[in-house]
Amino acid sequence: MNISRRSLIALSTSAAGFAILGPAVAADPLKVAIVMPGNITDKSWTQSGYEGIMQAKEKLGIEVAYSEKVVQADQAEAMADYARNGYKLVIGHGGEFQDAAKRVAAKYPDTIFIVNNGQIGEGNIASADFNFRQFGYLMGYTAGKMSKTGKAGWIGGQKIKFSLDLNAAYEEGFKAAGGKEVFTAYTNDWDDIAKGKEAALNQISQGADVIFPTMDNAVIGSLQACKEKGVWGFGLYYDAIADWPDTVLQSAIFDIKGAMLDYIKLAQEGKLEGKNYNFDLSTPEAARIGTFHKAVPEDVKKEVLALAEKMKTGELKP
Amino acid sequence: MLDWMILGDVLRTSLRLMVPIAFAALGGVICERSGVYNVGIEGMMLSGAFGAALGTFLTGSPVAGVMVGILLGAFGGAILAVLSIRLNVNQIVAGIAINLVALGLTAFLARLIFGLDATTKTLAGFTAWAIPGLSAIPFVGPIFFNQDPLVYVLYLLVPFLHWLLYRSAFGLEIRATGENPGAADSAGVPVYRVRFLCTVISGGLAGLGGAYIVVSQVFVFTEHMSAGKGFIALAAIILGRWDPVSTLLASWFFGFCDALQMNLQFANPSVPYQIFTALPYVASILALVGLYGRVKPPAATGLPYRRESKT
Repeated sequence: MNISRRSLIALSTSAAGFAILGPAVAADPLKVAIVMPGNITDKSWTQSGYEGIMQAKEKLGIEVAYSEKVVQADQAEAMADYARNGYKLVIGHGGEFQDAAKRVAAKYPDTIFIVNNGQIGEGNIASADFNFRQFGYLMGYTAGKMSKTGKAGWIGGQKIKFSLDLNAAYEEGFKAAGGKEVFTAYTNDWDDIAKGKEAALNQISQGADVIFPTMDNAVIGSLQACKEKGVWGFGLYYDAIADWPDTVLQSAIFDIKGAMLDYIKLAQEGKLEGKNYNFDLSTPEAARIGTFHKAVPEDVKKEVLALAEKMKTGELKP
Repeated sequence: MLDWMILGDVLRTSLRLMVPIAFAALGGVICERSGVYNVGIEGMMLSGAFGAALGTFLTGSPVAGVMVGILLGAFGGAILAVLSIRLNVNQIVAGIAINLVALGLTAFLARLIFGLDATTKTLAGFTAWAIPGLSAIPFVGPIFFNQDPLVYVLYLLVPFLHWLLYRSAFGLEIRATGENPGAADSAGVPVYRVRFLCTVISGGLAGLGGAYIVVSQVFVFTEHMSAGKGFIALAAIILGRWDPVSTLLASWFFGFCDALQMNLQFANPSVPYQIFTALPYVASILALVGLYGRVKPPAATGLPYRRESKT
């Protein structure tokens, strides 16, 4: 073997280079934790957070951990705990985690705290949310075209930005499509199925024939009322027509799973910044509409899809 | 704004929201009258809901579901009885422990038995059954006498409990045990047995309330579906001043405020909905401090009874 002095230097330099790079390449996988408010079988918000992190684990090869049913008082402690244990990305699953993230972020500068459905972005705090208004409008428009009574119902958990945006845009869309009146009800409880059902039954008996429930677990109760009374409903977070084939007209799919995959990938590449990531129709992996019920006429479908296109290009801003 | 049709709706809704609270609260009245605070009502209700789903899921019959629900609720009651009556554990602490255990255990078992997509599997349940004659009464009939069977059970339960407490020998024993267990004991009342039985009955009734949510209202089981109704029942007991008939009315008041809250929102959006959510609790507190009528909880409630000790 003929090794010149120069090539020896080159060789040893690159070996040293590999020695330095080596651990970085074969480093421990990124550790990501998620802290969630509800239970992971709610067929709604918390479940999608759980599935989101599991999907990211599978596709990106990260290391994950999760806590479910974390009440408001324990939020900060749960998030800090993960940061202390070397988790580089800690997800607070829900806008209500914003305050907790703000409280703990300064103490753990090496960790990024990201709040799903949050609006903040500063330092090592990021957030991911959706353009709720686009979807409220599209569901409202579909409702307006399908309603025979000209009255629709909208049910929310509590008056937070998510609810207010969806509600206002739903009403706009409903009226743009020729509907007359939207009944709005807040149940003050995201999980109480019985209340979700009663709220829907009330709206139905007042003449509403399309209902858009936007709580968590309680949505099941509202859709059940729709099914029993033979009126239309809308799904949320997933393509709900699979579970409610006779009832659901269309679904607003805020796929936090897709959004999480997107931003966890950024974190893996070291590109995640302290800002708000807003997902809308132009990022269909995270926000899209579902399957139309077969009862929706072709021309209505076309109109709704055309509206969605206009929103994508920015021509229509509901 | 409030026309007759809306009033009918509100009453119907309030009745449905009231039933689980009423069952649990009536059980609580018996229990507290005998001298045991049942803070575990929420957990027993949840166990009952789970039992109802389990029984219905396995047999396909809601009647079997209700039976299993009552049984699991009563089992929760028996645990509280053993802890607080035999082992003299603080009744409040034991009750809270039962709530926590029930919450975790039912969630775990539900995932194990029904799987992750349990919430979309609709179970068999009761349907409304009109009582011939009574249901034909205008306005009142369709609201009160076109309900599912468990509502009628509630109608019959209230006069029965009234009779049991105030007119039967056993009722006298219950009240004596709750007021002065020492005196009752010396008069030959089996204090421990009375308290034990009352606590188990209370658990069973709370379980029945939970079962109602599953087999009559929503036909699915979800985690923590009792959603705090057990605690509302505790407030209804106070508002009802430990009397079966008043407790029923108190439970109805809670249900009525909830129903009104949902209806008034779109009939009259300018009224903040939180007012109606808070109203029944305000009333309970007022009842507790005795702003209307004299309030006298059973004197020995919450105190463990030891035969050997002088109290």
